[in-house]
Amino acid sequence: MAKTYAVRNIRLCTKDCLCLYVCPTGASDTENSIIDVHKCIGCGACANACPSGAISMVPRELPPQQPKTDAVVSALRELTRSKTSQESIAAALPGKLAVAIEKSNRIMAEDLIREAGYMLPQSGNAKAFLQELLKKPQPEGFPKEAVEALLQTLRFNEDVEPEEKWKCSVCGYIHEGPLPDGFTCPRCMQPASVFVKL
Amino acid sequence: MRRFICSICGYIYDEAKGVSEAGIAPGTKWEELPENWTCPLCGAAKSEFVEEKATAPEKKAQPVKQATEEHKELNALEVSALCSNLAKGCEKQYQATEAALFTQLADFYKAASAPATDADHSELLSLVEQDLDERFPAANAASVEDRGARRALVWSEKVTRILKSLLTRYEKEGEAMIENTGVYVCTICGFIYVGDTPPALCPVCKVPSWKFEKIEGRAM
Repeated sequence: MAKTYAVRNIRLCTKDCLCLYVCPTGASDTENSIIDVHKCIGCGACANACPSGAISMVPRELPPQQPKTDAVVSALRELTRSKTSQESIAAALPGKLAVAIEKSNRIMAEDLIREAGYMLPQSGNAKAFLQELLKKPQPEGFPKEAVEALLQTLRFNEDVEPEEKWKCSVCGYIHEGPLPDGFTCPRCMQPASVFVKL
Repeated sequence: MRRFICSICGYIYDEAKGVSEAGIAPGTKWEELPENWTCPLCGAAKSEFVEEKATAPEKKAQPVKQATEEHKELNALEVSALCSNLAKGCEKQYQATEAALFTQLADFYKAASAPATDADHSELLSLVEQDLDERFPAANAASVEDRGARRALVWSEKVTRILKSLLTRYEKEGEAMIENTGVYVCTICGFIYVGDTPPALCPVCKVPSWKFEKIEGRAM
């Protein structure tokens, strides 16, 4: 699998459609305007061609997040607790000011806990947090499958397993990651059967 | 003639100029402005303004509290906020499936959290005041070398000051304060604007006004 994939910011997209002409796999031509990550090979042709700067190349593997000291984590956690208490009080009050205060406190709590070591969903901290949820007793109706699915699909950036690589025996193109069903070489259009594992 | 600066958004009230759009004549002294006058940009109360001085006031150094024990375990609502934060993290990376899963978890823990008992506005105001008097100074002292943490603290401290202004006004004016006017929340930093049209830029985090959400009432 390539190291990056293309994403389109729909707010910036002006439908000049150059990305459709240059994409070798048709990944950018979709009915919902979201570039198909499974088809995208990370070549960057669309991002270079887009006259509106609406396409960015996002790395599949993100760098580890910034380290946090215990003193910072403790202090931010204290504030997070206070903000969630205020969210809970506001949630029990009538009127639109209370609704606004409830939302405001949630946004502050999210931001404070983000800076207390939970910025990246792919971080080691986030992984440990999800694993803990599975170990501890949980309230009734706990969506265990959601946690398992996240542990399965998020590409955690601390202790990442090495990727398999495949080489096209016809043109030499190298594909990183497992070969999906019906895969064809984006360069010479040969089927998956001509690929050899490296 | 003196100048007073809004500590939330930086708006300057200049006694020499007044505010002609609002009918405040040039030469109007700070003390002559009505007590319920608010910042024309962000709505902060008069008490959030500081007089412009030639030299900055000396800051009292706060001792850094040492974290001795293990971090407290997260309660259900904190787990919910952690999950909704990670959902936003996935959304920004255009990972819709993962964002939906984190949102599902956030909703589950919010529903599972213990509801507040005997909630009222004065309890909110007292927590807001504790944040401003104790928790923010302590956190600012602990985060001197962590600019990411400082960024979050600067935003949330300003938003907390606005909450204080609004709750103080609400104590005096009650529901009439919001009866015929809009209430907006900045979806990035949580800033609350009470008025008909939100400012073009968020006074706290500077995002454009389309990032504001208009708040509708709650059916109770």
